[in-house]
Amino acid sequence: MEYIRKKINLENYTVRSIPKSVLVKNSEGKTVIDESNPKYYYGTIPNYKIDSEGNFILDPFGQKIVNTIDVSLFITQDIDDMGIFTDTPFVPKSSTLTIKPDNFNSFTYGRLAGAPVSFYYKSPITVSGYTDDSLLKQVKSYRKDTQGNDIYVPNLNVSNDPKNSFNGVVYTNNLETVYKIGSNVNNVQNTGVEYTTFKNEYVKTVDEFGKALSYNKTKFVSKNGGWNEYNTSLNASLKKEEYLGIVFKPEVDSAVFINRGVEDIFERHALLSEIKTTNDIDTNRGGFIRI
Amino acid sequence: MATGNYGTIRPADVSVDDVEIFYSYTPNRESLTTVELLPLDPAQVLIPANNPDNVNEIFGGLYTLKLPTSIFGSKGYYSIVIRPKQIRTTIQDCGVLIDNQDVKGVVFDINQIPLELQNRFENGNLVGYRIEYIKEQTGTGQDKIQNLFRIITSNNRALPITQNQGNSNASQAYTFNDNSTSVFCTVSPSSAPSIKPNAVPFIGNPQQDVIITNTFFNPVMLEIEMVEFDEETLAYALFSNQTKSLEDGIYTIYNFGNQIYRQYNLYEVKDQFTGKPLYEVREQKFTIDPTKDFDDITNF
Repeated sequence: MEYIRKKINLENYTVRSIPKSVLVKNSEGKTVIDESNPKYYYGTIPNYKIDSEGNFILDPFGQKIVNTIDVSLFITQDIDDMGIFTDTPFVPKSSTLTIKPDNFNSFTYGRLAGAPVSFYYKSPITVSGYTDDSLLKQVKSYRKDTQGNDIYVPNLNVSNDPKNSFNGVVYTNNLETVYKIGSNVNNVQNTGVEYTTFKNEYVKTVDEFGKALSYNKTKFVSKNGGWNEYNTSLNASLKKEEYLGIVFKPEVDSAVFINRGVEDIFERHALLSEIKTTNDIDTNRGGFIRI
Repeated sequence: MATGNYGTIRPADVSVDDVEIFYSYTPNRESLTTVELLPLDPAQVLIPANNPDNVNEIFGGLYTLKLPTSIFGSKGYYSIVIRPKQIRTTIQDCGVLIDNQDVKGVVFDINQIPLELQNRFENGNLVGYRIEYIKEQTGTGQDKIQNLFRIITSNNRALPITQNQGNSNASQAYTFNDNSTSVFCTVSPSSAPSIKPNAVPFIGNPQQDVIITNTFFNPVMLEIEMVEFDEETLAYALFSNQTKSLEDGIYTIYNFGNQIYRQYNLYEVKDQFTGKPLYEVREQKFTIDPTKDFDDITNF
């Protein structure tokens, strides 16, 4: 817990103005203050904000504004990575929701009971940008022209799985070659990533080692971005404690197998206490320790 | 081998709905009375700052505490505790998952949760919350089990299922089912260390009262000392305008805005028989003489 100390002077909130409207003449003809006047606040801290004439300051809705002492503070949160969760089957709610709650998001609502997976889909978006022409070679024909150059044949599917996916040229002319990678054979136009390599436009740059690079300018367009039925599913997220703090599988990086985890502090001591001979290293826990 | 680095402290952007604020007041540090904590409505007194570039977006971290002068207008010491909101409920059951019998957890009934807080118990929303426990036999001193807490690591709606164990026995386990109003929460620690497989950490008992708290921000305590004087007010006495009325002996000190800050009566105490001056007195005047307005005096 953070502990903050501040010193605030109440004088900054104390009224020191004396409105003319609270001044009266006494029996001796001397000007004095009518302290019973409701607009007289001298020396006090009013509960609501007032102006110099003792009138309440009103907000746009005609309400009095509470007089406050304002203190700025900065609030922080310590974070820790809980590690991986395990997808677990669940029985969905029998009556599903048909209308998505306003501003639906999975953090606010969690895996909302009754919410179909379609609530989590987002409208398809188009992703575009520029890359090099290295993928162009993937769609060339095995044949060469008479000068030995690669040729690109429209509609020739060079995919390794031609029954399901299409990798090939859509069309080519003197200026550009348009080709698709990873399209569905039944819907080539609307699926996969479309590349356009411009034949007469070159990009000259250098790699991270300063070596000069040159390639044909290539534009890519994908119309299938966002969350959809192909990359979204609903599962119950179960946290198994042995995965607490673990964000990837334990890996063998050296001669000693290290069981990564949050709760292995006792494990390590206990493990070593069990090793009495070199033979134990090989046999302990069925070869758990690897040399 | 590290594969990446990240910071572990972030500006909190917690909603004021997930905050509790309490305060106590003592006029001085020598007060012998016990501390009495009183609640403040966070929605009224804690205002998050908005991003200047996007007015509908919380800036993060920066909040303004607007302390009403009706409460915080006295000289003395105010202690203000800002902490994550607590939800009090009862453990409905404790059990295991039918498909993962080594996964233990506690079960809560959503219907026991106040309506405005029930969305916190939707699937996955309790992850990171802390559970603290109330003693099952209360009224025996401190009701809360001190220094004991568990962290909720996952929560899903779940339905109890009875498994026939033979010999007229049956055991109960839970399966994830969104048609249920019960929520199965896994907590940590809940596993036995491998060297002592029977030493299962305590995670609670059925029908035990608990306190569930979010961990959206680190609690903050402010001690605010309300004072009547600081360097500015002392400077009034040294550097600001002053008048001394020779007719009635009223000595007036003005603040830097030429408003009357203090008034004093100046007079001499003389021996009543000889008329010999004995004292010069400066006595604070609590009934302000409004005719000593500085602008009126100097506007000639």
